[in-house]
Amino acid sequence: MAIKLTRLLGILSLVLISGCYPKGAEFIDDLDLVYTNYSSSFDFSSKTTYAIPDSVIKITGDIFSDPDGDHKPSFLGPASAAAILDKINQNMVSNGWTEVNKFSNPDVIVLVSTVTTTNVYWYYDWWYWGWYYPGWYPGWGWYYPGYYPPYVTGYKSGSVFIQMVDAKAVAAGTENVPVIWSCILNGLAEGGTSSITTRVQGMIDKAFAQSPYLKH
Amino acid sequence: MRSMKKIFVLLIAAICMQKSFAQHHSVFILSYPIAFPMGDLGDYIDKQSFRGINLEWGKEIKPNLIASLETGWNVFYKDVPEQVYTEGTASFSGKQFRYTNSVPIIVGAKWVLKSSNNLVPYAGLGLGTMYSDRSTDFGLYRISTDAWQFCVRPELGITFKSRNGPAAMLGVKYYSSFNSSDLDGQSFLTVNIGVVFPYGL
Repeated sequence: MAIKLTRLLGILSLVLISGCYPKGAEFIDDLDLVYTNYSSSFDFSSKTTYAIPDSVIKITGDIFSDPDGDHKPSFLGPASAAAILDKINQNMVSNGWTEVNKFSNPDVIVLVSTVTTTNVYWYYDWWYWGWYYPGWYPGWGWYYPGYYPPYVTGYKSGSVFIQMVDAKAVAAGTENVPVIWSCILNGLAEGGTSSITTRVQGMIDKAFAQSPYLKH
Repeated sequence: MRSMKKIFVLLIAAICMQKSFAQHHSVFILSYPIAFPMGDLGDYIDKQSFRGINLEWGKEIKPNLIASLETGWNVFYKDVPEQVYTEGTASFSGKQFRYTNSVPIIVGAKWVLKSSNNLVPYAGLGLGTMYSDRSTDFGLYRISTDAWQFCVRPELGITFKSRNGPAAMLGVKYYSSFNSSDLDGQSFLTVNIGVVFPYGL
């Protein structure tokens, strides 16, 4: 009797523990992150005009490469770019900024770029096979000599990077351009263009909401 | 406050009922703990945990004294709705998914009050270690800390003896671990409902 009960309780506990383990993030936007930071020595309140390009660039590597020789990077599709830029402009205007042409001596310049990364798992832990291989020990690994196999599974993550540059400091002829506000919108780049665009637009609103110093 | 009330009720029960514990030499206690986080753990996850298990082996070393070895597993979890976290000039906003897994390993003693009826109160004190693994999922990132900390664990409870075979138990255990370099001391209170299996007659 006691043994039967022990076994029953054991099974019950196992079901309880495995069945109720917390599940964490369920939806794509559960993984969205909005980061902003700024230069505390910059006086935002005295600046009112900004310029912004009509395109969003794609960053493809640490160093700018220009394979087609037109001195331009790759651009995000015009519909997605417009959705992002419109949202930024809308927030800038409602915060009391005025958009001007880049040749009309703007106080700041806003630059928008995107990065996407495909994260793949082909280097899974070799210890998965530790039960089978004779004479293998923890800490060993494996490698693919001179080639990479196609990926097993993966996800695509992406960021929209917004930089606000002090345009007057640029004019003064300094070598480095001071970025006085930066914003990173990070999340999964999965789920179709329109849903990604909607999420990015929501995140832009949040970025401005958590940066009250931009408001006039 | 609710937990305090439970301790009080059990204390009164312990004083009122002078009964004897099982006549067996060894016991195995399997119980289901409902855990209430407190202190630093409570600040991090202010939500009770219904996920856990507790195992205890006891050996009678004197008629009223049982030496015990205990281990268990409590999973604390909370999803924190999106909010802004600011540190210096930097601000982050997003949802957080917070987890703490706690595994105590405790050596202890239980004093059992003599009684002639079926309700047997006991009180215990244990010392040992608690492994805590804290993880915060924030966006696509995970921040993890784990620590083995020194732990004390007082307890109070009652067993309900049946004529033959296992007894039922209801108890309260309070775990308090001490600060280590990576993590502040973690503490929580559990209300345990379980079964006491006597063996080794």
